Amino acid sequence: MSEPQLKSPDQSPDAGRWLDQHGDYLFKYAVFRLRDDNAAEDAVQETFLAALKAYQHFEGRGSERTWLVGILKHKVVDHFRRLGREAPIGEEADEGPEHREFFERSDGWQGHWNTDRAPTDWHATPAELMERGDFWKVFSDCLSPLPQRTASAFTMREVDGLKTEEICEILNIKTNNLWVMLHRARLHLRNCLELNWFKRER
Amino acid sequence: MTLKLYDKLKHSVRFWLLRTLPTCQQTVETISNSMERPLSLQDRFKVKLHLWICVWCQWYLEHLHLIRAAARAKGDQAVDVVSDVSLSDEARERIRRKLTNQN
Repeated sequence: MSEPQLKSPDQSPDAGRWLDQHGDYLFKYAVFRLRDDNAAEDAVQETFLAALKAYQHFEGRGSERTWLVGILKHKVVDHFRRLGREAPIGEEADEGPEHREFFERSDGWQGHWNTDRAPTDWHATPAELMERGDFWKVFSDCLSPLPQRTASAFTMREVDGLKTEEICEILNIKTNNLWVMLHRARLHLRNCLELNWFKRER
Repeated sequence: MTLKLYDKLKHSVRFWLLRTLPTCQQTVETISNSMERPLSLQDRFKVKLHLWICVWCQWYLEHLHLIRAAARAKGDQAVDVVSDVSLSDEARERIRRKLTNQN
C-alpha cells in the first residue's frame, strides 16, 4: 500500500532556512512570554531541534511558521514548568508591588483612591486601544518592572487566555497566589498604561 | 426646598456607604478576582454598591476589561510589534551549528 503523497518523500527539512526565515519571529514570541533573552534563545533552539525530529508529522498542512509556533508554545510551557519545579514559590514570594501609595490619603479617607493616582476616563473602546501602534511596546515595557513570574502569569492569562487552573499547574503555584499576582499586575499595568497613553496627551 | 433636602439625603447616604463598604483598595482586589472566578453573593453586592458611588472604581473595572479585550484580540500580533528584539548573531550561529550537527 502506498503512502499518501502529501510531500515528496525525499524532501529533507532545511533547518538553516527555518532559522533565517522564522528565527527572529520565534525569538520575539519567546521573549514576550519568557521575558528572558537566554531562556528565549534556548526555547528557539529546542523548537528547531524538535521540529527536525517531528518533520514527518508536518504534512504541509498550514504554514510552516504556524507549525513552528505551535512547537514553541510547548517549549515555553516546559520552561515555566521547570522554573516552577526548581524554585517553588515560597512564603515571602515577590508577587509584585502592592502600590499602597495609590491609596494613601491624609484626609481621613485612607484606603480610598489618592486623587492624583486615581483612574481617569480613558474615553477609549477596545478597538481604539488596539489601533495604537505602540500598544504592545508600551504593554511590554510596563510589564518589565514586575517579577518575571508575575509578568508571565499575566501574559498567559490576558494575552494567551489560558485558564486559571492551567497557569497554576504550569507555574506550580496555588490559586490564591495566582489571584494576588494577577491583581498586582493589573494594578501596576493599568496605572502604567494610563501614564503613558493618556496623561501625556493632555 | 425638597430638592435641597433630597441632595442632602443623597450626600449622607453616599458618605455613609463609603464609610461602611470596603475601601477602594479592597474593592479593586475584589474586582480583579471577579475576572477569575464568580464572586460570592455578598461580595457582588458590595462591589455593586461601591461602584454606584465611586466613579474611580467604575473606571478601574472598565479599564481591566478594555485591557483584556485588546490584549486577547491582538495577541497574535504582539510578536510583530515588539520589533526592537532579534536573535543575536552569536545565538544565531550557536543554533545554526547545533542544527547542522543534528542533520
